[in-house]
Amino acid sequence: MILQEAPADTFNYMVLGFAVILGTMGLHVVSLLARFRNLRRDLEVLDEVQAGEAAATGSASRMRTSR
Amino acid sequence: MDPMPRALKTLNWLTAALFVAALYMVFIYAPREAVMGDVQRVFYFHVSAGWVGAVAFLVTAISGAVFLARRDPKWDRLAVASVEIGMVFAFINIVSGAIWARPVWNTWWTWDPRLVTATIMELIYLAYIMLRQGIEDPDRRARFGSVYGIVAFISVPITFLSIRFFRTIHPVVIGSGDPTAEGAFDMTPRMLQAFMFSLLTFTLIYVTLLWHRVRLARMTEHVEERRMQLTST
Repeated sequence: MILQEAPADTFNYMVLGFAVILGTMGLHVVSLLARFRNLRRDLEVLDEVQAGEAAATGSASRMRTSR
Repeated sequence: MDPMPRALKTLNWLTAALFVAALYMVFIYAPREAVMGDVQRVFYFHVSAGWVGAVAFLVTAISGAVFLARRDPKWDRLAVASVEIGMVFAFINIVSGAIWARPVWNTWWTWDPRLVTATIMELIYLAYIMLRQGIEDPDRRARFGSVYGIVAFISVPITFLSIRFFRTIHPVVIGSGDPTAEGAFDMTPRMLQAFMFSLLTFTLIYVTLLWHRVRLARMTEHVEERRMQLTST
């Protein structure tokens, strides 16, 4: 780059650099969103299981009292 | 789980707006560097990412120390969250540096003290994550993680100061003036403004991501507790 008259043509390297920077940051954000979504799904499943158990316990106690 | 606080929503938008403004500063406001050309624009985010990495690892060390003193799990959550973000940005710093180096140094990689210490630092924190995954007991995991986080932080000032301690071709941004540095350049006022703005923006990105990551950790613990409750009944 010594004695050059114009800036070096490094446009492609710049594109590659920003692709890596923005791509990595984007991947991290997507990973955070995916983990949040999975946990929300887990909570929904847990709610359903808990509701199912509560219903089963309730009907069992009702059967006991009716006898 | 608590809904997203209004302050975090505001922070999301503010960070996004600042990021768009930073892109404008880097691509349009700052002039093209006279020798290196367009690839020099990578420098603004390269240094900012390195800065975020260092800050994140400092937060981990401080959180670890506070956890050891108070034994409050929220400090451990903060430490882990900060390591994850620090690793992402340290990775960006290393890879973007290699891409910048290819046209400027004519090589992707050289065994320069800064490159080597930065990579060792990244690997040290990768080992932190692996160490934590290998420990089942949450209290023990938090204690080991805290001690490791404090000791691992030694790698951060070593990385920062490596270009002052050893012979290197890496440019010194703060207090620059070494004529042997390959790729060193003097910043014009507009370049300096773009650089400072990028630093500010990346700091805010770190704070925003950290807040989200801590919320994720809290939510994970909540789900685990619910699971335990269900399996114990």
